[in-house]
Amino acid sequence: MKNLSEMREVYVAGIGLVPWGVYENKEHYDFGSDAVFNALKDAEMEWNNIQAAFIGSVYQGTGSGHQVIKEVGQTGIPIVNVENACSSGSSAFRLAYQMIAAEIYDIVIAVGMEKMPKGPIKSTAFRPWELASGFNVQMANYANEAVEYMHETGASVEDFARVTVKNRKNGALNPNARFQKPVTLEEVMESRMVASPLRLFHCCPLADGAAAAVLCSKNKLKSIKRSISVAASTLTSGVYGEGIMMCGTVNSLKFPAKSGIVKLSADQAYEIAGYGPEDMDVVQAYDTMAPAELWDVEKLGFCREGEAPKFLKEGVFDINGKTPVNTDGGLMSRGHPLGATGLGQICEIITQLRGEAGKRQVNNPGIGLAHSMGAGPNSSVTIFKK
Amino acid sequence: MVSTDTTTIPLREGFWTNLRDGNKQTRLIGSRCSSCGEIFFPKKEKNWCVHCNRSTLEETTLSNKGKIATYSVVMQQPGGGFYKGPVPYAYGCVDLEDGIRIETLFSADNFDQLEVEMDVELVIEKFYDDENGNEVVTFKFKPV
Ligand SMILES: [Zn+2]
Repeated sequence: MKNLSEMREVYVAGIGLVPWGVYENKEHYDFGSDAVFNALKDAEMEWNNIQAAFIGSVYQGTGSGHQVIKEVGQTGIPIVNVENACSSGSSAFRLAYQMIAAEIYDIVIAVGMEKMPKGPIKSTAFRPWELASGFNVQMANYANEAVEYMHETGASVEDFARVTVKNRKNGALNPNARFQKPVTLEEVMESRMVASPLRLFHCCPLADGAAAAVLCSKNKLKSIKRSISVAASTLTSGVYGEGIMMCGTVNSLKFPAKSGIVKLSADQAYEIAGYGPEDMDVVQAYDTMAPAELWDVEKLGFCREGEAPKFLKEGVFDINGKTPVNTDGGLMSRGHPLGATGLGQICEIITQLRGEAGKRQVNNPGIGLAHSMGAGPNSSVTIFKK
Repeated sequence: MVSTDTTTIPLREGFWTNLRDGNKQTRLIGSRCSSCGEIFFPKKEKNWCVHCNRSTLEETTLSNKGKIATYSVVMQQPGGGFYKGPVPYAYGCVDLEDGIRIETLFSADNFDQLEVEMDVELVIEKFYDDENGNEVVTFKFKPV
């Protein structure tokens, strides 16, 4: 196996987003190709510079990435569709990164997009008897893990609500967020119960959306000044013994996993990047449900197990705190277009490191980390450096 | 409580032992690895231990007693149309006495009484009536 730290450096030359929301009259290829055009413009590159495309989505179906590219221009480059649940976008990004690091291509585009389907969705993350038993309610799966977290750490439902309050406050500063109105602790605690102990405002909304990034080798960059380098990109799929209820697995009592997938993917990324959690100036954590952000920042190494609620309360994870988390409002404000989410998180870290985040700008960040989870399970960590 | 009425059908065959088959007690059916001791539920289709990677699985019945590890009361209909039971309903994880955690539905007179570490036991209960008028039953765990 090649040592990634000895391979050539990879840069993000440009990023492209579309506003997160509900696109009633547009299809995934419409706004997916908008994200591609935005990323090309940002990179100051032409479509015919692109040598390969990795395109993530979950529910768009066969050849959906090809449909996006059809709206941009068919140049014969290889297009690979990537389905890796909610980490599809970050998995597409990782493949693009590896292709350039390995010197197979010099300029590659990664795209994530999703138009959330209406009506029944056939979930392949669960076995038929689990679906028939009603075990596929993701709010309830996170609620179960939240109950265990509360039991182990003494965290409260109010602590979970504080995650929503922080992220919605950040989302109010993000012109691309689906929800741009802050909420109060009382509003979260009075919202309707969805799956005890989680209420509606503890859960992220769905959304349609797309994000893209143009990656390249150093010699292909048009603007060194705005470029951001990829310090590490890791992906860890399931390990025996760790329960992740969002894809129907429970802990082994006899043989529990020594490390879970989040810690494994983070430790590997820190080792490759040569930095530790203490070096991260801005973080995008995975907040599909509010409590998940708390155990996520713990597993990523920003504090010890059970400490996140206290740090959150003290403002450590605020935009002006020591470790700002989910500066764009997170999934909680942005919404969750499954295949686009991972790349959306990456775009926010790039925007912050460039100093282009406007009202939600963190004070002069140099290094940032994005983490996405996915049913499967998957855990994907990407570290960027100015 | 186990129904032996012929119009009752299990949610899935092979999940538990039936009294009508001459068993003294209803038990969940799993697999046990004779090499490493790991236990699986439901029973594995293939003779392959996904923990120690050996072909040493044997059919076993599980303890019908355990403690609640996690739970949630679901207040809305699950998406996808696969679930035909009542709403609200509760599901979560139970740690059985033999050392296996399983995901299960809960039965309770009042879901508010559910608590972590509460003692629960196996019941086979009505889940829903299917379109042909059959009573579909499934396994659940209920506070003792
Ligand atoms: Zn074994």
